[in-house]
Amino acid sequence: MNFQYKLTKLSTAVCLLAGVVASAHAADEIVIGASIPLSGPLAGFGMYQKWGYETAVKDQNKAGGILVDGKKIPVRLVIRDDKTDPNVTAGNTESLLSRDNAIALLGSCTPALVNAGALVAERRKVPIVAGCDPLGAFRSVRKWNYAWVMFFDEGDLATAPFRMMSDYGISTNKKVAILADNGPDGAVVGGKIWPETAKGGGYTVEQNTSFPTDTQQFTSMVAQAKSTGADVVLVDAIPPQAIAMRKQMASAGFSPKVLVMEKGAEPEFFAQATGKLADGVLVGGYWDPSFPYPGAADLAKRFESDTKQTQSQHIADSHAAAQVLMDAIAAAGTLDREKINAAIAKTNKNYVIGPVKFDATNTSAIPITLMQWQSGKAVVVWPKDRANGKLLFPLPEAK
Amino acid sequence: MSLPNFEVIAGSLASGLLLGGSLSLIALGLSISLGVMRLVNLAHGELLVCGAYLSYFLLNYLGIDPILGLPLVGAMVAVIALPFHRLLIAPLAGKGMEAPMMTMFGFSIILQNLMLLSFSADTRTIEASYATQPLAMGPVTVPKIYLIGFFVSVALVWCVHMVVSRTAFGRELRASSGDPGAAATLGVDVRRVHAITFSMGAACAAMGGILIGTAFSFTPSTGATYLLISFAIVVLGGVGNIFGTLVAGIAMGVLQSVGAVILGDGYRDLVGLILFLLALALRPGGIVSGRA
Repeated sequence: MNFQYKLTKLSTAVCLLAGVVASAHAADEIVIGASIPLSGPLAGFGMYQKWGYETAVKDQNKAGGILVDGKKIPVRLVIRDDKTDPNVTAGNTESLLSRDNAIALLGSCTPALVNAGALVAERRKVPIVAGCDPLGAFRSVRKWNYAWVMFFDEGDLATAPFRMMSDYGISTNKKVAILADNGPDGAVVGGKIWPETAKGGGYTVEQNTSFPTDTQQFTSMVAQAKSTGADVVLVDAIPPQAIAMRKQMASAGFSPKVLVMEKGAEPEFFAQATGKLADGVLVGGYWDPSFPYPGAADLAKRFESDTKQTQSQHIADSHAAAQVLMDAIAAAGTLDREKINAAIAKTNKNYVIGPVKFDATNTSAIPITLMQWQSGKAVVVWPKDRANGKLLFPLPEAK
Repeated sequence: MSLPNFEVIAGSLASGLLLGGSLSLIALGLSISLGVMRLVNLAHGELLVCGAYLSYFLLNYLGIDPILGLPLVGAMVAVIALPFHRLLIAPLAGKGMEAPMMTMFGFSIILQNLMLLSFSADTRTIEASYATQPLAMGPVTVPKIYLIGFFVSVALVWCVHMVVSRTAFGRELRASSGDPGAAATLGVDVRRVHAITFSMGAACAAMGGILIGTAFSFTPSTGATYLLISFAIVVLGGVGNIFGTLVAGIAMGVLQSVGAVILGDGYRDLVGLILFLLALALRPGGIVSGRA
């Protein structure tokens, strides 16, 4: 009995000590976790996200960290590579919460990956803030409580080429070919919004083909698009596919007047890999250092100076996502996840990406622009009031 | 579902036939490793990607044209592969198929990660003027690179056939393939034959990788797709059967195109895998009888 009593007392003491140590550890740093694609087909996006997240955290730590319970605490960012695989994203998110003790999370890139991590965060009631997930695909999954996304809306993106052609009075034969992957956003943009908008604008959809996200050979569908004589070709594909498809369009002797390649034509390596074939290719965008947002020009300069690479808009959405989350932790003044989540909901501020204010669907829309590759540089060509270059039309023929 | 017009169908089938040549070159490396060494080389896809990277850098830094540089890249990869055979495969001789297979699986992961660390995960493509030029043959247009790839592949497959059927090394290779024990008793250095066979397989994969990297795009993780399709071609053509691999590769290219025309380009691999299962069930020895 006496032994049992002593054992109980000892166990209680150990538990108390462990609790004290744990809380002391928790108070030493604020852990934010992120699972992003650093390898696999989407690694081109992950590299920018990593820099954006790390830079925002570095800046916060330079200022002493985040003020919590009256004390400034440094932030530690833990990044895991999800290998462009939603299953790995889900596993990484679990690990970030259970092994790394992340208090809150930052998202991956593209709907498949962001949503996979967000579903785990939602189940564990942990706030997660993400860019890089088109809003329609994000909203369609469920009613979110702990997941927050600031990005463009697919409707805005998909209608942009048609609005641009109308604004600039571009003359085509009004025939459209749509080639889109069967991923969540490809299915929405290529399967629904592009055909509907085309019809509404008086265009005829001559071809609408979808394909899995691991295809590399597009010989038949490119030949079909060529045979329709479509002047407008709309593609929604990830970078490796967009690069392969652009080459195959050239080698099939197919040169439409307008070529839009959503997603795939976004990273700089699209232009590097395709060389002159990139000239004239359009892709939806939402950010450029020339935009009048706080710190926009400076962020791009810092990226280019740090990495010796050309900036991408993903540095802005990832930087802003990290800032939104850290501002919410500061506003909550505690590491209580519920209170941090409530503070995210109240976000209403201008960030490097523009104004961020979440609506009832936990989303904040970023206005869309159209970028065009011209001599290896992405130039904003639409809308007119934000354009920093002239539209190259028609698409130059491959030589 | 309406079928596309004649030009599209004919163009797709011609493209499939030509691309099938390159597929057979890729599969040939796997086939000879499997036929002679009983080695399921799961790193075959990564060796293919290695070839593409080598050619990419030779072009960008030394200006060596990818097609003219094919023998050089093949030789480089063959030489690089030799010590790996000695270190990883040779010690496992006579210990069944599982141990070497798992070793090559581990080797594939290491290679993939090394390429990721060294070259990043960016998508690349080998730039050459002929890579994006169309070739019109009457109403049918095919990519010029497919035609070049076809002739290069057929020539290389023929070279491998000549080495195997007309040289002293080929005699030793065939003896080692049939009965390694008996071959060793007759004085054949089976270990040396296996090492050279492994290198030849790696060279075939690397040269196929150049053709793929020039026609399409590649990343460090591209290899897996071509490994799968190579297995299907090896089974269709018969393990270790050089002529069978060529025929099966071309058949695979054409049938994939039929699948692409009927179901869409995204279903090319589905057709290949169905063929693989059918071949396993109906003609496990391959569609072409005999062995090289």
